[in-house]
Amino acid sequence: MSAPVQEAITTMVDAATVQSIADDVWTSLVGDGEVLVPLPVPATEVTVSAWVQITGPWCGAVVVTCEEATAVALTECLLRARPPAVIEPEDVDDALGELANVLGGNVKSLLREPSSLGLPQTGPIPPAFRPDDLCRVDAQWRGQSLTIIVQGAIGTPHTERNEVPQ
Amino acid sequence: MRALVIDDSRAMRRIVGSILEDFGYETRQAGDGQQALDVLEEGYLPDLACVDWNMPVMDGLQFVSAVRSNPAYRQVTLMMVTTESETNRIVRALAAGAHEYMIKPFTADAMRDKLALLGLLPVEMCL
Repeated sequence: MSAPVQEAITTMVDAATVQSIADDVWTSLVGDGEVLVPLPVPATEVTVSAWVQITGPWCGAVVVTCEEATAVALTECLLRARPPAVIEPEDVDDALGELANVLGGNVKSLLREPSSLGLPQTGPIPPAFRPDDLCRVDAQWRGQSLTIIVQGAIGTPHTERNEVPQ
Repeated sequence: MRALVIDDSRAMRRIVGSILEDFGYETRQAGDGQQALDVLEEGYLPDLACVDWNMPVMDGLQFVSAVRSNPAYRQVTLMMVTTESETNRIVRALAAGAHEYMIKPFTADAMRDKLALLGLLPVEMCL
């Protein structure tokens, strides 16, 4: 008997919704008047990624990827009121991770059943297992490419009914 | 007025801290619930603690429960500032003793409104 396959994220969340969430996040966190412009073609240069994992009936990750210069510029914007003298790589990881965290929390709220959100992580993009279990937004911010991906992690849903999501 | 900003993200601590400082608050920061408890145990009793939910070591809900179980910290107003936006989470946080709940992302105006609701907006900021 084969393991049950989790419901595809695209049945719960579409790209327009992710874009809408990102618009709110950009305005609130990155800065008033800061906009993400949808791109018709996927960005090609990706050097930095941050994501949060979602665990529940749907398991996956919400990933933000961009070029390093974009991540540094985003960090400067997030820290606009009190920027450190030098932006360290840890600051960039932290800022990009927080963007992923806020995006992830808002995506999680759209899922059909309670789920848990992990702590932000940075590094190579975690692999996506099913092309249909993926929702992707390619955009530009200040002329720089940036991608937000909501992607399923595994084919089997989390079915521990007694678990209380944290 | 004094505020303790508790979040594992340095960027978010800076954002929340700078908003509160613009409203006239003196702020301190902690990277998780345990660090925040250590600050309280040092004797720094804030009027307001802004508490993230998902943090390593000790999460925000555990921190809220710990503060509420200690009468010495009765004066501390607790506001969750988190991405956790589902109703069941909000109910859990309020049941544990949080006074207010703000969902990320938020604006400075939203923070101002929450502080006004809590009676924690300095008088000069109400003018």
